[in-house]
Formats: sequence, C-alpha cells, structure tokens
Amino acid sequence: MDLVQIAAGKTLSSSAVFLLMTVLLLAAARRVSTAIILFALQSAIITAQVMATAYTEKAAEAWIVAAMVFALKVVAIPSALLWLVEQLKVSRAMEPSLSSAKAVFITALMIFLSYAAVQPYARESRVPEDALAAAVALILTGAFLMVSQRKALMQIVGLLVLENGIFLAALTTTFGMPLIIEIGIFFDLLMGILIMGIFAFRIRDTFDHLDVTKLRQLRG
Amino acid sequence: MILLLPLLIPLVGAAVLLGFGTGGRARLLALAVGAAEIAAILRVVLGVYFAGPVHFGRFLRADGLSAFFLLNVALVSGLAIVYSLDYLRHVEGSRFSSPRWFYALLFFFVFTMIGVCVSSNLGLLWIMMEATTLASALLVGFYNTRGAVEAGWKYLIVCTVGIAFALFGTIVLYMAAIKSGLAPEAALDWTVLMEAAPKLGSELALLQLSFVFVMVGYGTKVGFVPMHSWLPDAHAEAPSPISALLSAVLLNCAMYTLLRYDAIIARAIGANFSHTLLLVFGAASLVTAGLLIVVQRDLKRMLAYSSIEHMGIVAIGVGLGGALGLYGALLHTLNHSLGKSLLFFAAGNVRQNFGTSRMDRIGGLARRLPKTAMALSLGTLAIVGLPPFALFVSEFAILSEAFAQSRILIATLFLATLSIVFGGMFHHLFGMLFREGKQSPASTGLELSEALPIAITVLGLAWFGVHIPAGLKGLIERAIAAL
Repeated sequence: MDLVQIAAGKTLSSSAVFLLMTVLLLAAARRVSTAIILFALQSAIITAQVMATAYTEKAAEAWIVAAMVFALKVVAIPSALLWLVEQLKVSRAMEPSLSSAKAVFITALMIFLSYAAVQPYARESRVPEDALAAAVALILTGAFLMVSQRKALMQIVGLLVLENGIFLAALTTTFGMPLIIEIGIFFDLLMGILIMGIFAFRIRDTFDHLDVTKLRQLRG
Repeated sequence: MILLLPLLIPLVGAAVLLGFGTGGRARLLALAVGAAEIAAILRVVLGVYFAGPVHFGRFLRADGLSAFFLLNVALVSGLAIVYSLDYLRHVEGSRFSSPRWFYALLFFFVFTMIGVCVSSNLGLLWIMMEATTLASALLVGFYNTRGAVEAGWKYLIVCTVGIAFALFGTIVLYMAAIKSGLAPEAALDWTVLMEAAPKLGSELALLQLSFVFVMVGYGTKVGFVPMHSWLPDAHAEAPSPISALLSAVLLNCAMYTLLRYDAIIARAIGANFSHTLLLVFGAASLVTAGLLIVVQRDLKRMLAYSSIEHMGIVAIGVGLGGALGLYGALLHTLNHSLGKSLLFFAAGNVRQNFGTSRMDRIGGLARRLPKTAMALSLGTLAIVGLPPFALFVSEFAILSEAFAQSRILIATLFLATLSIVFGGMFHHLFGMLFREGKQSPASTGLELSEALPIAITVLGLAWFGVHIPAGLKGLIERAIAAL
C-alpha cells in the first residue's frame, strides 16, 4: 500500500470529525460572514472526501465532481454570499433567536442522535459509520439553522449545509449519483442561490430589514 | 425527436421573449410560442395514444401517464397565456416585473413542468421539480408588494427544503437499487426500476425509508397538510393566471412524481405501505383544508385551501387504488384543474376591479359585474362537486371505490368534509354576490381574452360531467396501464 492510498484512507475516516467541528462552530457563529466562511471550509473538507473516494474507488468521474464541488461550494457560492452581505449593508450580527450555548448544546444532541440513527444500518451494510453519521448530522443541523436563525442570509446558509449533508450521504453510501445528475443538481443549486439573492434584495428594499421572522403579514 | 420539441419551444421562446419582447410585442410573441408549444405537446400525446410510449435518448420518455399530464400542462398553460393578454394591461415595467419577464418566466415554468412529465430518470425528475420552484418563485413575487415578496421567499425556502428531502429519498432508492445489483447508470431509470421491482423487494427497510422521504418531499409541492404552509400565500399573492398554473398544473405534476414512486414501491414491496401513507396524508389534507375554507377572509386564499382539499381527494383515490380509485383520481386531477383555472380567472377579474381580494370588501357582484359573477358562481358549483359538472363524476368514482372496499371511515370523512366545504364556499359566494358593497368596481365585465378561457373551462366541465369522451377515457386507461 503506497503512501497516497494511506492518505486517502485517512482522509475518509478523519474528515467526519472535522465536519462535525464545523457544524458545532456554525451553531456558535455570531456573524453571517463567519457562517459563510465555515460553510466554505465544510465544503473544502467534502471536496477532500470526494477526491479520496475518487482515488480509492478509481472513479474518474468523481474527479470532475470534486472539481465542481470546489469551484462552486468553496469558491463561487461563498464569495457570492459574502458579496451579498457587503451589498445589503445590513447589521452584521445575526441576532439568532437562541443563545450560542443553547444552540451548541442542541447541535451536540443532534450529532449524538445521528450516530444512534445510523448505527444499525452502518453495521449491516459496511458503510463508514462516521461519514454517514456526519451526513445525517449535517442534514439535521442545516434544517436547525434554517428554523433558528432570523436572517434571510442565514437561512440560505442553513439550506446549503443541508444540501452538503445530502451530497455526503450519497457519496458515502453509493459513491455519488451518476455524473450528469450531479451536474444538474449543482446547476439547480446555483440558480437557487441566484434567485434567493434576488429575493434578499427585494426583502431589504420592501421591508428595510432582512429579519424573516418579521415577515408576518400573511396569516391563516 | 418529437419529445425534444415540447422542451425546446418554451425554452427558446423564453429566450426570444427576453431578447425581443419589449413593448406590445411580448403578447404577440407569447401567443405564437404558446401555440407552437401546444401543437408540439399534442403531437406527443397523439403519438403515445396511437403508437405507445416514445423515448429520446436515455433520459426522456413519455408513456400514457406522461401523456395524460402533458395534456393537462398544454390545456392550462394555453388558457393562462390567453387570459394574461389583457390581465397584464395594468402592469408597469419594473425589473423582473414587466410583461416581457412575465411571459419569459411563464414559459420557463412551463418548460420545467413538461420536463417533469417526460423525464425517464428519477434524478432528472428531481432536478426538474426543483427547477419548477425556481422558475415560479419570481412569478409568485411578481407584484413586488410586501405580501408578494414574503410569499415568494416562503415559497422558495419551504419548497426547496421539502424537495431536498425528496432528493434524500431518491438517493436511498438509488442505494437500494444498486444493492440489488442494478448498474449505476440504470439504477435511477424508472422503466428499469419497474421491471426490476420484484428484485428490489429484499431491501424492504430502505424502500420504506425512501418512500417516506419522497412522500414528505414531493408532498410539500403537492401541498399535503402539514407541509402546505407555502401554498395559500403563494396562490393568493401571485398574479391570477400564475395562481391557476400553480394550482392546476404544478400540484398535479408533483402528484405525478408521487404516482411514479408509488408504482415502483408498490411493485417491489406490495401496495399496502405506500397506499396507507397516501390515504393518511390525503385524509389529513382533505379534512384540514376543508375546515379552513370556512374561516377564510380572502377569496384567493379560500381557493388555495380548496386546492389542498382536492389534492387530498386525489391522494385518497390513488391510495384506495382498485379499478375506480385510480381512474377517479386521474380524472379528478384534470377536472380540478379545469374548475380551479375557471375560479382563479374569475377571482383575478374581481381583484382587478375591486383592487382587493378580501371577501368582506367585495359586494354586489351580481349587479355590478354580472359576467364575472356568473363565472364565479359556475366555478363554485363545479368545484364543490355538484352535477352536472365533471368533478361530481370523479368524486363519485372515488367515493364508490371507498364504499366498495368498505372503508367507512374514509367515506364518512370524505362526505362530511364535502358538505362542510359546500356550505362554506356558498356562504362566502352569496356574500360577495348580493351583499351591499362599500367599494365600487373599476370597470364592468370581462375582456374577450379573459372571457374566452373562462368559457372554455365551463364548457369542458359541463362536457366531462355529462359524457367522458372516448379519447379521454382511452388516455386515462393508457395512463393506468403505465403504472
């Protein structure tokens, strides 16, 4: 076994821990820009995982997927979101509806829950347990970010984290979907961010703030 | 190749509209593109009807079920395009909110829904479903008012998260298919999955997990309770032709995806699991929405809740299965889309003339806007399921299936809710028709381009209520055969 192979194997097994760390940091983040950078970091870890999978499974298509993840989720989307934060010039603090301590505690509980949920399945089908648990944890905390944060931009970050979780789940269980489908999903993601950006501007222009909990006109 | 045209025409049409559709030209261009698109769809439908399934490459395929829903897309999108011709006359051209953008986004929206109907790959199906949300979000927020922006954002976020769960469900099914020995390229193709379904049966837990996620995910887009929160807002705030498209086509397309999954899962592990889920979600939607109709204050929100109620009825029909259940459910999707387009067209006219759709501010419709009042009344008669209109026939079919299977609970809930809805909707309607109104309408009556789609839907509802044409019956039979 050569050195690269060992490195690839180690990447797969240890990256889950790093992913869980980004999730906990996200729960504690106080600024939108911090959250965006954490998302970029998280996507970088996932890129490394895709590359490791591409190497160990000798899957040529996976290299293309890795390049796309890097270009889109590490570079393009985070910089677009950071640009959006600059342009919207709203207050940078996130004003979450929960304190950091509580949010970190709940996130930790979710990580615990994810391990418990995937354990019986992972044992039966020889899927790396850590990676699968990390994927489920990303999905849960992404959804949690979306409901616990007030800022429209943080809801976008929550959605991206959730999407990262689904991507990771596909990667660990089936080594990813067919390439053409992955490309389509990435395209949807990009268009989605674009349209959400347009809406963020509109919310600011019509309401003078980005606090989605104050969008309460439509009821019943 | 004939499958590619219905996809290319709206896409190219949207691009042409964005490039050249300034001023009055947008309407003419839209009519031309719409006519070409309908012709292309009809060609596919006729091809499937007479010669069986057609396919193009590895990713596009149309069988009886696709053809039936394609017909729905063609019909309602055609009506909405014509109705919009004069409806848009008051719109000033701000960014993303001009007639040019309206039609371009509308054609893009239609493109995505046609894409849903002709995908033969469950991954592509997901991509197209997500694209329907993206294409229509800007249309929901078209008026750029506070309410419209709020509704658009909510729609975008709720549906994107919902659909993300459907992606997870799709991945789980893919995993089950790969574990059962299907090749990775073929494991998302539903024709392959349908053939290999008995082999998949060993992955019971995975398939059940997959269907639960798909049900919640695509169910969000169908508007099942409790994932329906986006639906009343989006339907009420969107321009009325878009409300008609959302209610009469988009919800049906989402239902179509559930039908596909239900067929695969039912073949693999028996129909019991997926049908029970459909019955539960269907009954919950029917009853909740039925009760909420009574307390609505806004005309378009009331119609939106009525859409949830009718999607519940369709889900119950599919969940019951059997000879009449599925037939009734499919027929009901078409009937409901006729009835609901009619009502949204009429409601759009009311809103334009009164400047509001709040029902307590609308009065004296019968005297002041007699034609609109007539359309609204006929639509209400049809939508509550009175004979001789078509919804009576499909609801009766589903109900008789429920009795034939001695599902007394379902049948009772069904009948009780229908009577509550009947009372609620007529109470609201009579208020608007005969109450002395404070506000007086801006004009009287309907433009020709608004009256024509309304007349077509009324004729369709009456026709299918009295006699279901042999062609339609044949198409539904082919649709059922594909499942």
